[in-house]
Amino acid sequence: MPASVHSEEQDQSMLDASAPQEQEEQTDVLELEEKRIVVLPGASDTAASFQFEGEGHTLGNALRYAIMKNPEVEFCGYTIPHPSETKMNLRIQTYDTTTATEALEKGLDTLMDLCDVVTDKFTTERDAFNASQGDRMEA
Amino acid sequence: MSREQYQVPNMGGQNAFSGDGMGAGAGSLDGPVVAYLCGECNSRVSLKRGDQIRCKECGHRVLYKERTKRMVQFEAR
Amino acid sequence: MAPLVPSQEELDRRRLVDINPETVSNIPSTDFPGHWPGESHEWSLEKFKNDLKIEFHRNERFEASFSLIGVDASIANAFRRILMAEVPSIAIEFVFVHNNTSVIQDEVLAQRLGLIPLKGSVEGINWMRWFKKPTEDDPEGSNPADYNTIVLRLDVECTKNPDADPQEEDPRKLYKNAHVYAKDLTFHPVGRQDQFFVGMDTIQPVNPDILIAKLRPGQAIEMELHCIKGIGADHAKFSPVATASYRLLPDIKILRPIIGEDAKKFAKCFPSGVIGLEPVTREEAAQKGSGYEGHEGEQKAVVVDPFKDTVSRECLRHEEFQGKVKLGRMRDHFIFNIESVGQFESDSLFLESVKVLKLKCARWKRGLTDLMR
Repeated sequence: MPASVHSEEQDQSMLDASAPQEQEEQTDVLELEEKRIVVLPGASDTAASFQFEGEGHTLGNALRYAIMKNPEVEFCGYTIPHPSETKMNLRIQTYDTTTATEALEKGLDTLMDLCDVVTDKFTTERDAFNASQGDRMEA
Repeated sequence: MSREQYQVPNMGGQNAFSGDGMGAGAGSLDGPVVAYLCGECNSRVSLKRGDQIRCKECGHRVLYKERTKRMVQFEAR
Repeated sequence: MAPLVPSQEELDRRRLVDINPETVSNIPSTDFPGHWPGESHEWSLEKFKNDLKIEFHRNERFEASFSLIGVDASIANAFRRILMAEVPSIAIEFVFVHNNTSVIQDEVLAQRLGLIPLKGSVEGINWMRWFKKPTEDDPEGSNPADYNTIVLRLDVECTKNPDADPQEEDPRKLYKNAHVYAKDLTFHPVGRQDQFFVGMDTIQPVNPDILIAKLRPGQAIEMELHCIKGIGADHAKFSPVATASYRLLPDIKILRPIIGEDAKKFAKCFPSGVIGLEPVTREEAAQKGSGYEGHEGEQKAVVVDPFKDTVSRECLRHEEFQGKVKLGRMRDHFIFNIESVGQFESDSLFLESVKVLKLKCARWKRGLTDLMR
């Protein structure tokens, strides 16, 4: 089935369309609308469940690992309550020295630092490898 | 009236098709002339109501309607 | 309490996932605070920096293979998943059919066109923004503009070739445009697009010889194709990789000597190059309790290159090797293989996936500061 059948007036080609409008400035590469974390009911300072809309195992498991690396965290786990909803729930329970929100923030920081280290290391190793391959080609 | 709308064929001798149907222009009392393509020799065959369904060039009995001239939009999924 | 330091032997054991004849064991990682009494395992960026190793095996334009050593499975898996589903690329999304008298139906043709991998200036693709489709919340969506839509056209008509040999039977010679290929797609820059997509960098199919449709004289295809940026999670046509996978480095330990005919049979249980044969030396034969006594000069099996192993477990099926060999995989040694479909270079794709994960974190962190206020 065709998605839509326009009348003649509507099917104006983009090539004929008037000059492009000014581009809206967007900061993120993966911009999309601002993300909101929802705290599920029943939360206390040291134990809370956060709901991430539009996330899955990709961030869920990586973030779980980063948060579990924090010794002030008693428990951290994630779940995707239903496969047809793109929602990810993250449960954090901490000891009294910190709060669940702080632990989550620290986990995100950990993951971002990790990414920087991987990028740096990958770039240097790749450049070194490409250089050595280049030498081999010349030899 | 939109030409997409289904119209009940009126068998009472009255022409049920309004003049804006396919092959518009040659609307005689016997109904509009519709252009078909022959399935054998690809020649244009204009038929009106009551005509024998047969190519005038080669006598082939399979005729096709022409494709719409309008733009159709699809999603590439 | 002074932190306990586990022995090297213990650390090596923890690094292995055991592979048994019918099962795998020692699967989950245990490097978390509180798991081993007296050990810290707290996240340390310094330690991670020192432990992380990357070794390249191959780095071709569209296929790269490297080892990522010293990360947790959750991190390696995040990169792999992002490569397949969240690194953006462009593909045909909207098809406006003005005419199609070919035998292939409009919707089938549209679907085929969507799957054609396109390439073009990477700078230009990065400059492009998302095209937002109308949703329930936002019934308007985006308007096509130079920064979110790329226009291609496919205009072909098949005609008889007057110069063809009357005896000719090949439709490609008998007719003109009998076959429609991906190379027949033409790029029509709009607005600022001609600043980015020029010369070699114009938007074009990666593989010019993909057959799109077949025509006969009198048949024609005339359509306008709008390409947008998207991610693999939305549709596989947007995925920039053909494959992105990893495997754990296999580990083979020969616990007791495998000598003579057994050694040859043992080597045959593995792909070539994994197990080698070496003569038993005089010193080994002289050593009491080594199992080599009296076997000087005979062939013994040694592990040469576990990287090449496929971990078929064949050696575990034979009586004579029972208890002599231990198979495993290195828990934190990921051998990545990334094959690009041709839009981006394979090594830059991995860097892109790391960037995407970081951006994800940054975005959620911003959402979190809103929450704390």
